[in-house]
Amino acid sequence: MTNYVKAFAVMIAGLLLGFAMTAVSLGLGRGFGALHAGPWTAWPRHGAADIDPYARAVLARSGEAPLGRDQGLAFFARTDSSGAPLDGRCDYRILDSTPAARFWTLGAASAAGRLIDNPADRYAFTSSEITRREGGSFEIDIGAQARPGNWLPVAREPFVLVLRLYDTPLDVESAPDPTTFPKIVKLHCA
Amino acid sequence: MKISRDYLDWLPWALATVCIAGSVHIVSVLLMPEIAPRNAFARLVDAAKSAETTPNGVALLPRAAPGAEVMPFEDSAFVEGVCLFDLSRGLMRVRADADPEDLLALSFHARTGRIFHSVTDRSAIKGKIDVLIGDASQIEAVEGEDEEAPPQQVRVTAPSTRGFVLLRSLARRASDRDRAEQRLRSITCETVAEPES
Repeated sequence: MTNYVKAFAVMIAGLLLGFAMTAVSLGLGRGFGALHAGPWTAWPRHGAADIDPYARAVLARSGEAPLGRDQGLAFFARTDSSGAPLDGRCDYRILDSTPAARFWTLGAASAAGRLIDNPADRYAFTSSEITRREGGSFEIDIGAQARPGNWLPVAREPFVLVLRLYDTPLDVESAPDPTTFPKIVKLHCA
Repeated sequence: MKISRDYLDWLPWALATVCIAGSVHIVSVLLMPEIAPRNAFARLVDAAKSAETTPNGVALLPRAAPGAEVMPFEDSAFVEGVCLFDLSRGLMRVRADADPEDLLALSFHARTGRIFHSVTDRSAIKGKIDVLIGDASQIEAVEGEDEEAPPQQVRVTAPSTRGFVLLRSLARRASDRDRAEQRLRSITCETVAEPES
């Protein structure tokens, strides 16, 4: 009799533990093969046929359609260049440069990947429309308050920056050079 | 002595728990793409129902707005369209004209999320993108007859019967959105019958 009770307890404990492991592992990361460059991280395998089961589960649950490997790479940043989490209650400045690509876009999204409502209707900058200084360098100011120049609005809550490089010759087999990526500098916090 | 005997009594049960937990974990991760209710395919099927479909078979997705995004983490600089395919009705042929000035990106997704093919206009052959997708036997039947096959056609075997082709057209500036949409309207998605063998 006790053996039946024990077997039942083992089944229940195993099920709960298994589901807990799934929930934790899907919450922790976005699969294997990540490419890091300073605060920026990309997952090149998301766009290829060799995507791993964890990444497929994460993307299926969130409902994302990633970029194809032959189209480009999407780099996500959840921290600034010093490693502190990005928070809309602070102001940030993005300083170029950007890696080689035919086009790039740099946008902000909420932590869940939604667009951030703002009066300027501005969610991202493309490499064509950004205002550059003489010589081609640029800065992007990020914050909840409107400002002149390249202003990328965010809400007063944690956010994510996404740098998408289209038709990029970047080698995904070796670690990219972080100095070729934009720096995210925290200016001050409200 | 007593402690180690207790330990030995519990060991098989603990091992059984770990084995069950491991199996449940692996099965649930592998099944997630099948059962996730709001994966990209489900979202696009919903969006395509209410979206305008061009005479060429492309469903134009509404412009993303805060609170009304079709999918999370999409690039808002793009005008997007989608073609849903169901290979049980025949092969799917996607044709687009490439314009070297502007970015056009096509990605081919299986229902459960795997991208099995992706191109941009840069890899177009003679200014044309022409992709034929089918299951293994359909592609084989097409390869078998290939008399007047267009030389620029790329044939791809899809890993699943159903899926979608996501068409992304870059609007370099906000004022370019109309032009980007025109490029989507010129893309053709058609279901073609499998050749008689």
